[in-house]
Amino acid sequence: MARAIGIDLGTTNSLVAFVDPRNRPQVVTVDEGRPLLPSAVHYAPGGAVEVGAAAKRQAPERPVDTILSVKRFMGRGPGDIRPEDRGISRFDESGSVVRLVVAGGQQAVTPIEVSAEILRVLKRRAAEALGGTPGGCVITVPAYFDDAQRQATKDAGRLAGLEVLRLLNEPTAAALAYGLDKQVSGLFAVYDLGGGTFDISILRLDHGVFEVLATGGDTHLGGDDFDRVVAARLMETGLAPRTATPSPAVLRGATAAAQKIREALTTEAVVEAEVDLPEGHRLSARLTREELEALILPVVERTTGPCRSALKDSGLPTVDGVVLVGGATRTPLVRRHVRALFGQEPLADLDPDTVVALGAAVQADALDRGGREDVLLLDVIPLSLGVEMMGGVVEKIILRNSTIPASATQQFTTYADGQTGMVIHVVQGERELARDGRSLARFTLKGIPPMPAGLARVEITYAVDADGILQVSAKELTTGLEQTIQVKATYGLGEAEVEAMLIESIEHAEADVTERFVREWRVEGDRILASLESAFELDGELLAPPERAAIEERMAGLRGAMAGQDYLAIKAWIESVDGATKVFAERRMDKHIKKAMAGRRVDEFAGEGRTTREGHEEGED
Amino acid sequence: MSCWSCHGETVASTPFCGSCRRIQPVGRTEDFYSLFDLPREFALDVPELERRFRERSRQLHPDRFAKAEPRERRLSLERATRLNDAHRILKDWRLRAAYLLKLAGQDVFGDGKTFHDPEFLEEQLEWREALALARADGDGEALLGIAARARFRLASLEAEVAALFEDQEWFSETVREIARRLSRARYYDNIIADAERG
Repeated sequence: MARAIGIDLGTTNSLVAFVDPRNRPQVVTVDEGRPLLPSAVHYAPGGAVEVGAAAKRQAPERPVDTILSVKRFMGRGPGDIRPEDRGISRFDESGSVVRLVVAGGQQAVTPIEVSAEILRVLKRRAAEALGGTPGGCVITVPAYFDDAQRQATKDAGRLAGLEVLRLLNEPTAAALAYGLDKQVSGLFAVYDLGGGTFDISILRLDHGVFEVLATGGDTHLGGDDFDRVVAARLMETGLAPRTATPSPAVLRGATAAAQKIREALTTEAVVEAEVDLPEGHRLSARLTREELEALILPVVERTTGPCRSALKDSGLPTVDGVVLVGGATRTPLVRRHVRALFGQEPLADLDPDTVVALGAAVQADALDRGGREDVLLLDVIPLSLGVEMMGGVVEKIILRNSTIPASATQQFTTYADGQTGMVIHVVQGERELARDGRSLARFTLKGIPPMPAGLARVEITYAVDADGILQVSAKELTTGLEQTIQVKATYGLGEAEVEAMLIESIEHAEADVTERFVREWRVEGDRILASLESAFELDGELLAPPERAAIEERMAGLRGAMAGQDYLAIKAWIESVDGATKVFAERRMDKHIKKAMAGRRVDEFAGEGRTTREGHEEGED
Repeated sequence: MSCWSCHGETVASTPFCGSCRRIQPVGRTEDFYSLFDLPREFALDVPELERRFRERSRQLHPDRFAKAEPRERRLSLERATRLNDAHRILKDWRLRAAYLLKLAGQDVFGDGKTFHDPEFLEEQLEWREALALARADGDGEALLGIAARARFRLASLEAEVAALFEDQEWFSETVREIARRLSRARYYDNIIADAERG
């Protein structure tokens, strides 16, 4: 049965959810028994592609071939990518689109293709859970994503073989999940601090109508920035051997360690750790919660401006409630900041990691059914759309926070006698000058009948659809001729390129779909077996002989399944092994944990490619 | 008018066919007010407008037509867009006033025309000076005060415009006076935006 699904394609983690026959939104278990799929993709030389926790574990040893946080590159053209986002990835910016060089230099993939890999996995897991190919899907995007970023997300969905019914803004999705769950009405703010993006939306909830009044944000602000400042500080004093310019690999390792330390400080007052980094470096870290808060305060304060603007744009002095979304909002400092900004205790009773996917599932269900009585979303365009006029000034034609779908028309005339063409440059943003705004599209209108200057009347209609994406059409009024306009994004994939990629991926998909499943589950099986062997070596004494025998019996069963071609069997054996080793894992945790001042191996505690299976770390969006 | 789907009779201004309930193209006789069944006047019950906007959105929003045929999807997009535009214009008294003038054939701000208002020039200079001074001094309190005063002026303008619209006999004089106030309102909006830029 083709059920519609909702997808949260996050910077750090991705999720997929659906509405079950009893009308309850549910997330799907997608990776190693959890609903969070790390948004990590590893391209091995030779063509194998891994997605999720398995890919993330490759990051320390093969950083260039492992893409993390690809969302930061979506819809960005050559020269657009910020230095702090580049990390260790290798880029090919020689063409009209940005490509990441992976697979040991053998492949160059676009961010859209990387995102499509993540989406494919989510689609597959959903298909397994639903017992059939999903119907349409809703994919969420940051509310503050511009046109190019949205278009790229849609393209990634198509490439993954998904029917994208709608792009949904993340805060709106969260409000939907929250509003339906709690059955509330009133004015709500959604404060969404993810791994890489920050959104603030103000909504009115009224009898099933979710009306966005204003939205604001920053597409380069998130939990990743916390990690960066913490890593920088830790390396200042704790990096050995000392170096003023750590390599990207060392930087990435330090940032990963910083993230673990930061998360630990949510519940502990101080954390100490010794971490091995690539290239023979070592990080000695000690951080208190006070020190952490002092470090991240400037980052958290960057959320204040957008919040104040959004409140002002909404015309409201205050709201009835503030909903928190995104793993980074678990940080105590962030919660205090939100309380101070909005004058009330924020609402955090829904899981900030899953709420967006659940909302997306509800919207997908609504669209699939041609509407639900209890749900109608009225969203807005986050940034004004304008056209460059003479002198480089922008004339705004659709203002920010206009309810979508929206449209506006403009009339132009010719400047020169006999002029038959016109170039229109569409810009997004609030700046006065076109060069300061985000260039969205430049198109040429051809075929204007030759006339004296000033006589031709060209009417251009700009329409923003329900996805927040711009469509343009034109009509020459004196002759009544309608023109089709080739709106070419100023960079990015053209329609033909997307089609080609799609055909290629379908051709491959048919051939190796099963083979790929088997390969992936074998890889997973290998990891589990290897980590268990290692665990036996380190902590074997924690198990009584019969207990160990029971585990080894299951491991043998797993090995047997891995030799075959039935991926479901491998999967079942993995679950069986998992079930049998829970007690062992707990005993290991007890043995290794020391509270507060203890010297802790952060990578072991976090499970990054080492001994134990990963514990239940809730990731950040 | 006949319905494109069932060929039954339809009334020009309703969104749905009386017989088969399929969504219809936007009619020629509709103006923004008729979309909401509200009287064509300046005085407007804004909460009522909001209520009707939400109600009509429920019926016309493209989300309701995600699984319908392409023609219906296109029509719903057109209607929803128009509803959103109408809502935006009617909600704001300045835009509403300009719209009413346009409906009456007086497009005072069309084609980028600006209103010639020499008596206002001196006041404009005073405001600019006060702003510049407050900025130069970094005087946040003064800036807030300027914004508050501009808001007060705006409220007076709104009341004056309301009174002008009540005048049943629309002499060109009335139209000009309304346009003058709309132009000044625009100026005060800029002052407020400037002062609050922070």
